[in-house]
Amino acid sequence: MATASGGSEFVDKFPDEAAIIKASFLIAFVSLGIGAFFGLIQALHRTNVLRVIDSADYYTLLTGHGVLLAIVFTIFFLCGVFHWAVARSLDRPAESALFSWAWVGLMTTGTVLATVAILGGLVPNLGMSADVLFTFYAPLQAHPIFYIGLAMFIVGTWLSGADWFLSYRAWRQDHPDERIPLQTFMVLTTMIMWYISTLGVAVSVVFFLIPWSLGLIESVNPLLTRTLFWYFGHPIVYFWLMPAYLLWYTVLPKLAGGRLFSDPLARVVFLLFLLLSTPVGIHHQYLDPGIAEGFKFIAMTNTMFLLLPSLLTAFTVVASVEHGARQRGGEGYLRWLGALPWRDPAFTGMALAGAMFAAGGFSGMINAGMNINYLIHNTLWVPGHFHLTVGTAVALTMMAGSYWLVPQVTGTKLYSRPIGLLQVIMWFVGMVFMSNAMHRAGLAGIPRRTAEPQYQNFEFLTPIGSIFELRVQIALGGTLLFLSVVLFLFNILLTSLGEESDRPVDSYLPEPLSGPEGSPRILDNLAMWTGIAAVLVVLAYTLPLAGIIQNGGGLFGGGLPVPATVSAGFDLVMTTVTSAFNTLWGVVA
Amino acid sequence: MPANADSQGDSGQADSPVDSIVGTADDGIVRELGHDDFDPVGTLVLVLIYMAILIGMWVFMYFVEFLGRGLTVVG
Ligand code: HEM
Ligand SMILES: [Cu+2]
Repeated sequence: MATASGGSEFVDKFPDEAAIIKASFLIAFVSLGIGAFFGLIQALHRTNVLRVIDSADYYTLLTGHGVLLAIVFTIFFLCGVFHWAVARSLDRPAESALFSWAWVGLMTTGTVLATVAILGGLVPNLGMSADVLFTFYAPLQAHPIFYIGLAMFIVGTWLSGADWFLSYRAWRQDHPDERIPLQTFMVLTTMIMWYISTLGVAVSVVFFLIPWSLGLIESVNPLLTRTLFWYFGHPIVYFWLMPAYLLWYTVLPKLAGGRLFSDPLARVVFLLFLLLSTPVGIHHQYLDPGIAEGFKFIAMTNTMFLLLPSLLTAFTVVASVEHGARQRGGEGYLRWLGALPWRDPAFTGMALAGAMFAAGGFSGMINAGMNINYLIHNTLWVPGHFHLTVGTAVALTMMAGSYWLVPQVTGTKLYSRPIGLLQVIMWFVGMVFMSNAMHRAGLAGIPRRTAEPQYQNFEFLTPIGSIFELRVQIALGGTLLFLSVVLFLFNILLTSLGEESDRPVDSYLPEPLSGPEGSPRILDNLAMWTGIAAVLVVLAYTLPLAGIIQNGGGLFGGGLPVPATVSAGFDLVMTTVTSAFNTLWGVVA
Repeated sequence: MPANADSQGDSGQADSPVDSIVGTADDGIVRELGHDDFDPVGTLVLVLIYMAILIGMWVFMYFVEFLGRGLTVVG
């Protein structure tokens, strides 16, 4: 691994890659700024604290918020981190800078098109709108430009993955017998998962939503587009999380003054996510009619298996941080926590993000339970949950990581460590207010995704506290979060405008305590793992999809029914498999 | 052994004071712990505390879902 002794900073060594990373970060941060501004307006609007928009425009902003933050910010940042991680860990530049710029360009164009379509909704008479929320499934319909932009964005991510696979292939030729470096391993497994899962959304967008929005086909089967969305909608959760995990596993221990506890364990975790993250999407559809309870039950069981890699991660990362604390002189059962470098915003931000993720794990378990999910389905609980996970575990890790990464690609020192520290703490505090209040509001039955969360002649009741108090907390938390983003952008902007420094950051990454040598080579057999992941997906989705197409009026809803022969084929498959399953069940039970 | 923390600490202090650049935690390292000298007991304690909280929250949810009917909104 490269050390950081003067002159070998990332930007000096890989100037082309640094430029790509800077461009990706720039778009990520601009999206973060706009998205956070919309978030502030929503938080104030739906709590009735301050209303600057018409309630009819709420969906437009909510779509902008969801798309710009949960899709554009996270994924552009991911591309920057992954580009950095591959170049750094393989210690070689990308194969072609032109190709890298091609994917940056394609993703950027897609983003601009989709954003224009969304914001077009604010300009009446333009005849353009895309108020379809970041989940964009039918029957809500957007302007074709929105779907086309989205498709370009996704193809851009496919090319970025190709870029990293090409680097890996070239490296492999020079190093036929070495283990894949850990960071590259993480990037490649994540991208394989992404290829498998985006297939669903690509089919949905290209074959159904684009032709439908252009008026080429009359209708679509809404349950089909929903299911194809969630086929991708759960794995995207891990696509958000994996760059954060990459930073937690490979950078956080260093920031804490320690070393990663176990390299093989980290590999196992990424493989488990590759295998398990796609065959669970139906757990977002517990309340969808038209999908048999049995399939929902299977999705729930698969979901519970996903707890395993999460718990392994919690253990490995916390143990690595503890290692740092003890090397810095920490003692005792818990006193070592005090020996951590809490003044470093990169460390503190990631540590707080991890703590919030632990809380999000709890509400996630509630969401995953098939029966208890009914209690919170489509209430404000759900945004409460994912502002802890993607909104903090991921977003705060990305911001904290920027304090360490941006100096490496700009060659300038962080403008202000104290402002950075204030910023990450402010995010944490703001989220404690907003998210706990959202969870509790959800338990009281307050719906999500609405500008006017109140009904005539009906009052929401809370077991503890009052609805008024919850509203105040949401508005206050949302304001703190927005201010935190402003501080972040300010700090990063001044950092990038600063003067070049010999040692902008301490970029040295130590070796793990237990390296890859001891782990089985089969962990690096990516082709085999891809095959297994694909088989699991086929097992989990063939029958539900067949059922949806068959019972939901064919591929195109009311429009074109499935030809009789195909339908009879489905019937045959369904009855055979069902009876085989029943027989098997009879034997087991 | 990776490039040692002690030497890094010295060179770090020469041109940039500790605490002014990000990622300088290695400067404060007072001892090197290898794989065998390190027992993550603190991690175990934290995991147990988390488990206890989880169980507590589950009990609370059970209360809200099944016993708390009178307190939350139903029908
Ligand atoms: C300034 C910080 C933020 C504020 C004030 C904020 C506020 C909100 C509020 C109040 C809602 C609920 C809207 C409703 O259901 O009526 C919401 C939804 C949402 N937020 Fe945020 N948020 C912030 C940051 C983030 C971040 C960083 C992410 C992800 C990276 C994010 C992702 C989402 C998503 C995906 C939704 C759901 C959109 C939908 O239902 O379609 N938010 N946000
Ligand atoms: Cu999910």
